[in-house]
Amino acid sequence: MIIDTQLASFFTAGALIIIGIFAALFIDNLVKKVIGLAFIGDGANLFIIAMGYKLNGIVYIFMPGMTIDQFAPNASYPLPFALVLTSIVIGASTLAVMLGLIILLYKKYGSVKASKILGE
Amino acid sequence: MNPLIALMVVIPIACALILNLFHTKERTVKIIAIVVALALPIIPLVTSYGLHYFGAYSTLAQSPTLAQGLPGFITGSALNLFHMGIVYSFQSAQQLFIFIIGLIAFLAILTSLSEIKKASGVYAYLMFMGVAAVTAVLLSDDIFNLYVFFEIAAIAQVGIVIASKIKGNYETALKYMIIGSIASPLMLLGIALLLGVTGNVNITDIAYSLKNGLVNPQNPVLLMACGLIVFGWMYGSGLPPFHTIKSALYSKALPHGAAMLQAFSVFTLVAIGIIILRIFSYLSFSHVFIIAISLAAMIFSITMALMQTDIKRIIGYLAVGELGYIGLGLGIGTAFSITAGLFQAVNEAIVTAFLFIGFGTILYKTRESDIRKLGGMMVEMPKVALLVLLAGLAMAGVPPFNIFQSKLMLIQASLNAGIPELGIIMILLSIVTFMTFMKAFYAVYMRPKPRDLEIKNTNIPKATIFSMVVFLIVCIILGLFPQIATGLLQGLANSLI
Amino acid sequence: MSLYDIIINRIKKVQTQGEEEEPVTSIDASSTLAAEITLLSSLLVAAIMLRFFSNALMIIAVLLVIAIAVFAMPIMPKLKREQNDSLNGMVFYVILALGIVTVLFYWGSLNV
Repeated sequence: MIIDTQLASFFTAGALIIIGIFAALFIDNLVKKVIGLAFIGDGANLFIIAMGYKLNGIVYIFMPGMTIDQFAPNASYPLPFALVLTSIVIGASTLAVMLGLIILLYKKYGSVKASKILGE
Repeated sequence: MNPLIALMVVIPIACALILNLFHTKERTVKIIAIVVALALPIIPLVTSYGLHYFGAYSTLAQSPTLAQGLPGFITGSALNLFHMGIVYSFQSAQQLFIFIIGLIAFLAILTSLSEIKKASGVYAYLMFMGVAAVTAVLLSDDIFNLYVFFEIAAIAQVGIVIASKIKGNYETALKYMIIGSIASPLMLLGIALLLGVTGNVNITDIAYSLKNGLVNPQNPVLLMACGLIVFGWMYGSGLPPFHTIKSALYSKALPHGAAMLQAFSVFTLVAIGIIILRIFSYLSFSHVFIIAISLAAMIFSITMALMQTDIKRIIGYLAVGELGYIGLGLGIGTAFSITAGLFQAVNEAIVTAFLFIGFGTILYKTRESDIRKLGGMMVEMPKVALLVLLAGLAMAGVPPFNIFQSKLMLIQASLNAGIPELGIIMILLSIVTFMTFMKAFYAVYMRPKPRDLEIKNTNIPKATIFSMVVFLIVCIILGLFPQIATGLLQGLANSLI
Repeated sequence: MSLYDIIINRIKKVQTQGEEEEPVTSIDASSTLAAEITLLSSLLVAAIMLRFFSNALMIIAVLLVIAIAVFAMPIMPKLKREQNDSLNGMVFYVILALGIVTVLFYWGSLNV
């Protein structure tokens, strides 16, 4: 059975989000938890990009020699790529701040277990 | 095309970057910070209302030069009316909100520069970035741009907590970021679902598509998008289940930082709440859910505030609990209740900032925030005690202060809408708020000083007293002349029903 | 440990920890009492608001709140212990709220 690329991407995005939520709830090692949380953002980004897919779509650059009637119905959707670029940068900066905090807390507590550092 | 609208966001960001560059040069940092912070409340007062189009063109219908080369299937459809770039919208309500947040930022930055011994460029950078981000959240008519600045505001808030050197701040900051990393991507998913169904990220265009039947409003994907955006709204404002981490965040920041953090939360609630009403008000369930979650916020937070023993935690839970009143105003859905809710937001931001800076003087003098170990501060600082008492009376809703007017409007709105139970709960929780404040005030100021409490011999800086007096004057002016604020808010409220 | 066991252990922990004794000051006692009364009266008045959906639901909800008030009286200490600052507790409630929000918006919109 062959699944359409877009549908497979949506399923993968959903799987990434579910894995991320599982990691947030059940994993005790802080570094692994934070990697899992990055999955949630990756899943959302993959979802947005997959929305821009068009079967047999052409790249959305208007080359010289094309006409509008040839370009407009065939180009794949350009907006998602711009949104996802910004979103990836935001995710990376949030990840960087979290990892920096984990390093500081490791120096203070000597372990990366979430129940020891962030428990009660 | 009004460039001052974009400058309202660009000037704080530029100032933040410059201050970060001059981090160790104290005098430069102080002068630049105070000058730009003074400009922050003045710019919205001199800007005229209107829209600002990044990209210089508004819609195809209004730009005939662009539209003339395009085929009929583009110019004849609804695509002709859609905005082509990011749009910032500045009307009377945004003017009031940005003025208030600029005023709170100016007074908080003034207080921080005088209370902290060594002026820190990085701390001022974080405050200015936070103000710029929340200003953009209030102005933006583009939902993805709003998400970007919402994330910047979250990182700035975490930075303000990290920079505070209070015991336990790193752990609280990491907890907030972990919880935020669950909630923010889900809000992005909601925005993505909205983009997928309507093909637009401009809120005016999305609302147009939904009202004029270009997409089916009962589409289940739209219902899911509404749920996820409401979830992100709950995270950004501090409604339950995020109320514990938000109040922990307020308690681990320095008092002037906490004053800014709570202003950010209030205006994020207002901005995203308005957007939810603009897009999804045809779903009556959204109103029901907003009322339910606001009631939960009020009940759980104010009862938790009574049980706390740390002053900053008490004020933090009260701040989060008062957000419920704003949500109730937005949820009831009539023009009068939305005006009352937005007026309550403005008043609450001012009074809570006043309370944080007021109780911050206790920390400045004694470095102790546990009410079991404090006492006798009335003898040390009688004038500050009077100002803090007036702030507490203002928060409880005593005339002639501002919260009396807005709570009265909210209760009248709930009675007019035929839901008197909300009015009863609002009155009951106002009484309990006052009781909580009086418990904290008695424990800190009025009972005898414990023997082992050490009080520093320095005077409270004049800038702190100046900030508190300015807040008091604003409270009295808005309490005696509420039409100043409600007149500005009515236009927005009428457009939301 | 399966998910079911984790949930059962958690509920048991909340129920049995109520019998600990620790020294209580008079300010603490009066605050807890006031919080208890506020919580129960607000929940009661909020339950009356269900009359907009169906009267039968409202009667059931009011009786439920009264039953909780009578049988599980010191609710505030348990609520305070549940709303603590531990990360696992907060993330659990966040995911629970996500589930409730999603389900309510997806299926609740059909009936209101």
